[in-house]
Amino acid sequence: MFCTNCGSQIPESSNFCTGCGTPARRGGSAQPAAPISHPAPQPPAATFLPSVGISADVARTSAYSTSADPAPAPAGSKCTWCGAVLDGRQVSCPQCGATTGIKALTTDSHWSKLPGRKDMAKLQFGKSFCQIEGKYVPVADMNLAAGDSVYFTHHVLLWKDPQINVTTMSLAGAWKRMFAGLPLIMTQASGPGHIAFSHDAPGELIALPLHPGQTVDVREHLFLTATSSVVYDWFQTNVWFTTRNNNETETHYPVGMFMDRFAAPQVPGLLLLHAAGNVFVRELAQGQTILVKPSALIFKDPSVQMHLHLEQPGSFFGGWNSWNNWSNRYMWLRLFGPGRVAVQSVFNPIEGESRSISSYSYATLQRW
Amino acid sequence: MNPNVNPAAGAPAGDFEHIQCQWCQSMNAKAATTCRACGAPLDIRNLVSDSGWREAPRLRDMTEFQFNSSTCQVEGEIVPVAEINLGQGDAIFFEHHVMLWKDEGVPLSVLPLSGGLARAFGGMPFVISVASGPGRIAFSRDATGELAVLPLHPGMELDVREHAFLLSSHQITYSFVRVKGLTNILFGGQGMYMDRFVTTGAPGLLILHGYGNVFERVLRPGESIMVEPGAFLYKDSSVTMNVEFQRLGTGLFGGTNMSLARMTGPGRVGIQSMYVHHHTGE
Repeated sequence: MFCTNCGSQIPESSNFCTGCGTPARRGGSAQPAAPISHPAPQPPAATFLPSVGISADVARTSAYSTSADPAPAPAGSKCTWCGAVLDGRQVSCPQCGATTGIKALTTDSHWSKLPGRKDMAKLQFGKSFCQIEGKYVPVADMNLAAGDSVYFTHHVLLWKDPQINVTTMSLAGAWKRMFAGLPLIMTQASGPGHIAFSHDAPGELIALPLHPGQTVDVREHLFLTATSSVVYDWFQTNVWFTTRNNNETETHYPVGMFMDRFAAPQVPGLLLLHAAGNVFVRELAQGQTILVKPSALIFKDPSVQMHLHLEQPGSFFGGWNSWNNWSNRYMWLRLFGPGRVAVQSVFNPIEGESRSISSYSYATLQRW
Repeated sequence: MNPNVNPAAGAPAGDFEHIQCQWCQSMNAKAATTCRACGAPLDIRNLVSDSGWREAPRLRDMTEFQFNSSTCQVEGEIVPVAEINLGQGDAIFFEHHVMLWKDEGVPLSVLPLSGGLARAFGGMPFVISVASGPGRIAFSRDATGELAVLPLHPGMELDVREHAFLLSSHQITYSFVRVKGLTNILFGGQGMYMDRFVTTGAPGLLILHGYGNVFERVLRPGESIMVEPGAFLYKDSSVTMNVEFQRLGTGLFGGTNMSLARMTGPGRVGIQSMYVHHHTGE
């Protein structure tokens, strides 16, 4: 018998999954027989839900009562998030942890919400497992098999088994010493053993299983951890503007000076990111554009081009001469398809945006 | 004493009229769906990770539970509020910056502290205030997180990360100790204190606020786990905590130290998944 939540194999006699504690389902019906489970599984009432506010559908799909669990997606169907083929028994996608069998939530404007994930959902990479725990600040709890390893920037480490050795990644590893252009120390942990990671902001954990040949560009500081099969590289964003204050010229980088690029050249890999707030993803068609706040960008396909876009609302007073003295204008990042883009709902103001701009990287302009 | 080591000890043999809360070990009536002492849902299976961490019970909104002659209701889920209805003769104590609102008539006083260590928090001298019943008073902290409701049985000793406790009932003895090893790691030389809560004869209630999500794990004697010091939230005093450094060299740039706290059992360890460094003033 297999657990409907995490997919672990469990003895026929057990009432609960030995892996995640989900009540075991036999023949489709829950049989709570443990001494403490007196009440029958209750229907999901509003007050019953661990609704965390920051992700309503996540809360809905993680109701603990088994009767609230959606049926697993049919065999042969694909995970709406990562495309993994499902075997019809899994309630959570084994590759990204997304709850299967529920419809993807897409807005009228075609932004899709990150699919819900059950608390304690488990995903597999290589011979290792990753369990994702918690709703406000999710923790990636890795069970590394012997021979498997992950790398991370060391300030995201939450806890580890004492026997797991954390080492500085060797230069031969699949990363560059300069992380996003800075001499940041990349650390590596090798199995066997448990190690867990979390970021220090409320938000969502994004699991991106990379298929062979797949590459993704990620804005700096969002990286949590990746399997050692994922190759790390970085590039200059070439998105900047300068402001002048008397004789001082300052250069600003609204999406960061550098961007991280992760690729899985030959073998699949797993990339975990942490985004603040909620996450929305959208597929841009060839030539389709969208304007986003620069610091809201999480990741994009390399095929998506980006540059600045400056917009000034129409005014009764302003003429052409007001162009350089922006008191009322908007600065955007213009994304240009084809490809996938992801944004987060928490973003920071652009530093220097309101000052006098003296020069800028390639930008499209819009004056109303 | 560590009542959590063997949660399976359960109800006395033959007594099927009660169920035991697996979070706080209190006994509850058989039909109860919420623990009367800590508010944990009793009809929901524990969420335990493969690695043995248990998520703190997610309290249903508006959950109510009791201590002495008072009740506590927990409201909200992103930044939960603990609303206390103090009974006559009951009192609770707490730090600065946690009171959300109170009835006008609830008297406040200051808890006399021994030790005389110079300690400040958020630019104010470190003072523990006491609110006495009857009346209502409510508490919350300043970030997304969870309340860890910890009813302390008689004879328990719990060590808590400083500025993590929201409130404590007056039966609990409060003291604090300076932790030497953590000095440079956490607050850049300003020292770190750890609050210690002890019950003697009577039980008491302690409520902590953990940033992000709260997880608890019971360590067997001699078993240890390495925890990011900023994630440490609480531990039984039987658990030892030692900071260990690991040099991470890069060759060219000189490298840096990574520090982790080695927690060694027996006893409970509680952690939070997000950590916030308070500006401790001074």
